[in-house]
Amino acid sequence: MTALAWTALFSPAAAAAAIALLGNRIDGRGAGLLAAGATGFSFLCSVVVFFDLLGRQPEDRSEVSTLWTWLTAGDLRFGAEILVDPLSVFMMLVVSGVGFLILAYAIGYMAGDEEERRYHAYKAFFVFSMLLLVEAGNFLLLLAGWGLVGLSSYLLINFWHRRREAVDAGKKAFIMNAFGDATFVLALFILAQQIGSLDFDTVFAEAPEALGEGSTLSVLVALGLLGGAVAKSAQVPLHTWLPDAMEGPTPVSALIHAATMVTAGVYLIVRSSPLFELAVDVQDLAGILGAVTLLVAGLVALVQTDIKRVIAYSTMSQIGYMFVGVGLGAYGASLFHLMTHAFFKALLFMAAGLVIHALSGEQDIRRMGGLARELPWTYRAFLVGSLALAAIPPFAGFFSKDAILSSAANSGSLGWILWSVGIVGAFLTALYAFRLLFVVFFGEVSAFAREHLHRGRFEGPVVMLWPVAVLSVLSIVGGFLQVPGAWAGVDTWIDPVAESVEEASGALAVFSILASLAAALAGIAVAWAFYRRPGERPAYIRRRFPGAVRTLEHKLYVDEAYNLAFYEPSSRLATWLTRRIEEPLVLRSLGGLGIGVRDVSDRVAAAQTGRVRGYVLALAVGLAVLAVVFLLVA
Amino acid sequence: MITTLLVFLPIAAAVALWVTPWSSSRTAGGFALLVALGELALWVGTALNFDFGAAGLQAEADVTWFADLDVSFKVGLYDYSLWLVGLTVVVTAAAVGYGFWVGRERSGVYLSLLLFLEGATIGVFMAQDLVLFYVFWEAMLIPLYVLIGVWGGPGRLRATFKFVAYTIAGSLLMLVAIIAAGLGAGTFDMAELAGRGTSTWIFLGFAIAFAVKAPVWPFHGWLPDAYRESPAEVAAVLSGVISKTAAYGFLAIAIPLYPGPAEDWRTPVLVLASIGLVYGSLLAFRAPDVRGVIAYSSLAQMNLIVIGIFAVNASGYTGALLQMVNHGLISAALFLLAGAIERRTSTGELRLLGGMARGRPVLATILITTGVIALAVPGSTAFAAEFLVLNGIFDIGWGWAVVGAVAIVLAAMYILRLISAVLHENVGSAVPAEALDLRPAEVGVILPLVLVLLALSFWPAAVTERVFGALF
Repeated sequence: MTALAWTALFSPAAAAAAIALLGNRIDGRGAGLLAAGATGFSFLCSVVVFFDLLGRQPEDRSEVSTLWTWLTAGDLRFGAEILVDPLSVFMMLVVSGVGFLILAYAIGYMAGDEEERRYHAYKAFFVFSMLLLVEAGNFLLLLAGWGLVGLSSYLLINFWHRRREAVDAGKKAFIMNAFGDATFVLALFILAQQIGSLDFDTVFAEAPEALGEGSTLSVLVALGLLGGAVAKSAQVPLHTWLPDAMEGPTPVSALIHAATMVTAGVYLIVRSSPLFELAVDVQDLAGILGAVTLLVAGLVALVQTDIKRVIAYSTMSQIGYMFVGVGLGAYGASLFHLMTHAFFKALLFMAAGLVIHALSGEQDIRRMGGLARELPWTYRAFLVGSLALAAIPPFAGFFSKDAILSSAANSGSLGWILWSVGIVGAFLTALYAFRLLFVVFFGEVSAFAREHLHRGRFEGPVVMLWPVAVLSVLSIVGGFLQVPGAWAGVDTWIDPVAESVEEASGALAVFSILASLAAALAGIAVAWAFYRRPGERPAYIRRRFPGAVRTLEHKLYVDEAYNLAFYEPSSRLATWLTRRIEEPLVLRSLGGLGIGVRDVSDRVAAAQTGRVRGYVLALAVGLAVLAVVFLLVA
Repeated sequence: MITTLLVFLPIAAAVALWVTPWSSSRTAGGFALLVALGELALWVGTALNFDFGAAGLQAEADVTWFADLDVSFKVGLYDYSLWLVGLTVVVTAAAVGYGFWVGRERSGVYLSLLLFLEGATIGVFMAQDLVLFYVFWEAMLIPLYVLIGVWGGPGRLRATFKFVAYTIAGSLLMLVAIIAAGLGAGTFDMAELAGRGTSTWIFLGFAIAFAVKAPVWPFHGWLPDAYRESPAEVAAVLSGVISKTAAYGFLAIAIPLYPGPAEDWRTPVLVLASIGLVYGSLLAFRAPDVRGVIAYSSLAQMNLIVIGIFAVNASGYTGALLQMVNHGLISAALFLLAGAIERRTSTGELRLLGGMARGRPVLATILITTGVIALAVPGSTAFAAEFLVLNGIFDIGWGWAVVGAVAIVLAAMYILRLISAVLHENVGSAVPAEALDLRPAEVGVILPLVLVLLALSFWPAAVTERVFGALF
């Protein structure tokens, strides 16, 4: 079984290597088929592994396999090892399954790009990194996958590297993630020092003893891991890279981030839940950060005008829900939302990609409008995605978001605070989701669209349409894995790894559902009132609250704040060091010895070989001193 | 026997290359390359026969020189020095190949100096007697002076002058330290001296010499000029290999011979090295040219290696050694790439470069691959090494590791800046449209370095399981 898991891991890596090595001997489409095929193969392997686990007793569903020793030092040993258990298989299915659909879609989307092959190679490498992240059997290997995901994301973001925004966005994503990597690695130092191992089994077994519940060490470890998770999952305050990452590159790369990579932080917290449970305050902090993020992202999404950016902010806010879930210990519910989110978010991005494709690359929603008539199937897909995002039953997002909120309602006072934020967030989610839908698809066909819309016999190449169809179906039926009061597929599956808190039941559960449903419907109603047709009302708000709107449009000035707090000072410090220390003191250091370097070099410029003789002479003097000393002593 | 051969094969070949009147520079270059590859094969043979399980010195050769002073020609290999010799032969082979291909003026003499340098450097890594160590140490400098002073760029005189002044100052201190140590103990044999030294002054004599050579901040005044003005392949050897002799000096002489003083001086050394790590990273981030970025990042990396060594524990030592190998390969590859870029654009200034990725996939792929390993992306061998270094120093004090973690972020900043300034955005004004992608010969010398780095990333334990078997 572990052999299959290894195969699933290395199959996309092999595809990436093959595309790189084949070079011109494979065409763009061939490369795309290879990358998608390898990822599909990973998915098949994952499915087989899943059924293998399913056939066993819950307590036997965990297997470690080490292929070779990756790194050693003294008594420390870190294996290249994978852990196959319900959690990793769950993630493998999501990553390789959704990844396969995305790669298949990319074959159509990237057709004709001059560097198509490079793109497919990057994507296959991305899937490999992501699978390494979720399959890793120890923290060091997890961090390796973590870093490689960051690398492939950097490569994908600045894929069209002639665009300055793309290059800057790529750097920003990488550097913010490097910051998270740094706190992550510091946490690992504590674990290595206190426990002497980074294997999951050993760490989780010995942590309560070695670190102590609620101790400073536990808090620091959890904080370090949380720093990594927050950076990777674009949560406040390390969130600003994600929307930028949407700017330069293709929708498909935006998509693979949104659907898979940014959920890595959620996975990390669930995986290391035994550590977080030793530092409950930090776990609460995760929930609070998630709540802040879902509010902030929901508000900022309301004023964005780039179709991909709106969806990017919605990603942030949905991951905020997942952080609320893991913060409260509702691991199953969070993973459930992770899965449904992957479905409907991938669907939304793909549908947006069809729109952008049909409009020759336009992404500004102010130039769209009335597209429902021109692209009816795309509209339907987008509608399904939006309903799932807004958590309207029976679409997938409803069940999973409800599971998180219902767990919050059952988790004491902090739970109630987070629950209330979640309800406000549900209103905002529905509002921005349907604002987008109405602006893009409703009303009169815009002048821009009339001029630029081009479509073939279908609303896109078939190779792009079928993944959209599959995801639409999944976004409709995916929620039935876990139905409140009836069965809890995800919770039961994950429990052997991380036991979830109880969800609310009875009247409380009904209340929670009704409240979130009411909030979502209210959001849709407001969106209907404001954005059904381009009109006066949004402009009125802009006039009435200019400051608030501007603040949101500047994304709460977080970028500016970071610039002032980190980038500017370090950049100035570097310049200051160069000008005031390095150049005058270090580089001219010999001036102080009374030898003007420039004078000397001017004077001897004509006699370079003479210089060389001088050096040799100096050496000879040194050796002579040595010889004399020997002779004297001898 | 094999160790003596490793030292003297390149030296003998250098002499032969120098005195033979070659009919063409091509035959001379072919001969030099053949010798460099032969040396590489010799090392592979040595490594295959090496018993990593056994502790202690192997392949020892010991001939008495001055019996009454107990000075002898004693060479041999420990498991860790074996890897550094390996680094030397690999990087030298690449440098000789590159120099041959570029076709330097009077290339017979030029390449013979590179081979002589190789022999001397290997001698430094294998000498087991302090006097012999000093002889090889000084012997390394002669070819370097000439290589930079004669074949360097426009500012070579200033660069050579500073390099000479700094290193001779350091060497003289070391000479005094060696004499004092040897005469005091009645022997110059390093194994016999181990653990016995208590003199702070002698320790400092060694430490300062090594600190100048590495260089440890603030003894790096010679570095930016030397790395900028050297021919690309000399810069590759200088930063890739020669700097490692200093780190090796700390590891094999200063600390084991003077454990007490090393312990006492640990904090000051760590303070300087930590400053150097952050300082080098910041300056690399602001450097205006390709070589400036590589030079200051080398400063940062060498200081990181010193931090690992002064952790004096299994994790720190192992990480430092692995990083010595990594950084040697990385900076050699980067300097050769810098040379390739300069040949195409006649400049290394970042503001004049850009957009080189378009139509040059091989250059872009190799530069990006080397770059991301250099910035220690998790999963790479450089990451494995940095992890061990910082993990080792973490046990000494948390603060040092936090400084190191900050440097992780800075490394990402300066390397990505370098990559995008050369490869991305608009085509720079100095980049001619007809500038070619890497030629097969360039790929032939640079790619092997990158492939070794990739192989090590896949399996860093190949090195870490085979070092310091005796110590930890």
